[in-house]
Amino acid sequence: MSRAGRLAFIAPRFSETGTIGGAETLLKQLAEHAAAAGRSVTFLTTCAQDHFSWANTLPPGRRRCGPLDVHFFPVDTDRDVSAFLRVQAQIDRGAPISPPDEETWIQNSVNSRALCAHLRAHGGDYDRILAGPYLFGVTYNASRVWPEKTLLVPCLHDEPFAYLGIMRGLFDRVAGCLFNAEPERELARRLYAFPDSKSAVVGMGLEPFEADPAVFARRRGLTQPYVIYSGRRETLKGTPLLCDYLLAFRERTGRDLKLVLTGSGPVEAPPALLPHLLDVGFVSEQGKHEAMAGAVAFVHPSVNESFGIVLLEAWLAGTPGLVHAGSAVLCWQCRQANGGLWFRHYPDFEEGLLRLLDDPALRRALGAAGRRYVQTAYAWPAVEKRLFDALDSL
Amino acid sequence: MSQNVFEINAPGVDAERLVAEIRAAVERKTAEGVYADARIARAERLNLARLRDTDEFLNFYLQCLRDATCVDISDFSIRERRRFFGPALVALKKVIWSLLKFYTFRLWSQQNQVNGLLVTAVEGLDQKYAAKLRELERRVQAMEAAAGVPAPAAQQPAADGQAGEGA
Repeated sequence: MSRAGRLAFIAPRFSETGTIGGAETLLKQLAEHAAAAGRSVTFLTTCAQDHFSWANTLPPGRRRCGPLDVHFFPVDTDRDVSAFLRVQAQIDRGAPISPPDEETWIQNSVNSRALCAHLRAHGGDYDRILAGPYLFGVTYNASRVWPEKTLLVPCLHDEPFAYLGIMRGLFDRVAGCLFNAEPERELARRLYAFPDSKSAVVGMGLEPFEADPAVFARRRGLTQPYVIYSGRRETLKGTPLLCDYLLAFRERTGRDLKLVLTGSGPVEAPPALLPHLLDVGFVSEQGKHEAMAGAVAFVHPSVNESFGIVLLEAWLAGTPGLVHAGSAVLCWQCRQANGGLWFRHYPDFEEGLLRLLDDPALRRALGAAGRRYVQTAYAWPAVEKRLFDALDSL
Repeated sequence: MSQNVFEINAPGVDAERLVAEIRAAVERKTAEGVYADARIARAERLNLARLRDTDEFLNFYLQCLRDATCVDISDFSIRERRRFFGPALVALKKVIWSLLKFYTFRLWSQQNQVNGLLVTAVEGLDQKYAAKLRELERRVQAMEAAAGVPAPAAQQPAADGQAGEGA
């Protein structure tokens, strides 16, 4: 086993201060921990911050960001956005896509020729190149430069993009994959016959914290029990479904249960739910943890997850999860941790939530089991060991 | 890497057993008609794509739709909560209702017809494709038997997220 001492990480975006996107946060944290362990780490990224416009808002060049040597490259500005959107709409519809159209889509996605040129010139300086997530042109094209030393951090979902022929090519050519959870590895096995010998399940570590469960309700004047969701609010994340379910729950059971949301994005809630919905938007990490700690349950209605970071945070706050059974990853995490329940449809949701509401001892037991799980499987020393084993052996 | 790394086996609580209990309770309550409620049909509108693998629930959802298809257009008792001018307000409302009734009755009875036709069409399509699938499965089995292909193991329920979306 040879030690991979010189590493390059590639992600479409990099935030010097806050967090942007789950996959980018994951790659940044892995890079920082690899650097802290004494490995030489270079981070290659683009000058974009906004994931809608992909405008080059940051100055290009090389800067020191904490322990990382970060190189910012401009996003290609000559991409044909209309061609990209045309094919993307076909993919979303599940229409058959020809190989040339797949190529059109990925080459007009977010790309950086400057980043690839740097890799071509300096790729020999790195023992391993870690790139992700899988569906960006930056990742796809960077993996072509030094495939034999590229490890993909795909953050793979069961979504139409994963079924494209070019994605099979991407997974075929890289030296290995670092997955976030076992179901993600199973998905890659099913879609691309990806061999276990070329992959490892690593995930991301979380620092333990203590949060007072009474603080959030006291500060916000909440006297009724509440459930919470944290993260982006959008149809793909299931937040409109959660709003519909909670309204039906309130109307059918007569329980005065509130919904607390933290995070970004517009809330699509039925008007009748609005008086019972508390949208606190972006809050500090401490504020989010306190809000989680006081909740009856952390509800995760998304079915498109490769790793439920917020679910792990809720467990660290001692709060049980209630997740959509359609997400293999969230279900797997709940099973492994014994930290939450999962629902297929509204009746499951109602029955599960009633149990959690009526049985504080069950809530505490599930929350405590979840916390033990995170502290064991997702403590940084455990994650670092999995990461370094993978870097040195794949 | 072994999956064992992620198995903690926390004592005192078994999420798998809890979910099995919840599902058993849901099954019992469904048979008792506890969930025959138009509000559930409305709440499930965004979850339908995920329910396509759960035949049993799809049947239940169609039952919810049948229950929700008819808008209630019959007469109702008109009341007034305000204490002052209560009887006068009730009389006024009764006059307004009698003036509007012929119009709303016509409108909503047509809407009920449309709703009923749509539910019937959905049920018809469901039955048609279910029959088609059964026939195809029968033919595949017959061809596999003729070719000597061993029968597949029983499939795990796909509702826990293993079902592919396809593209």
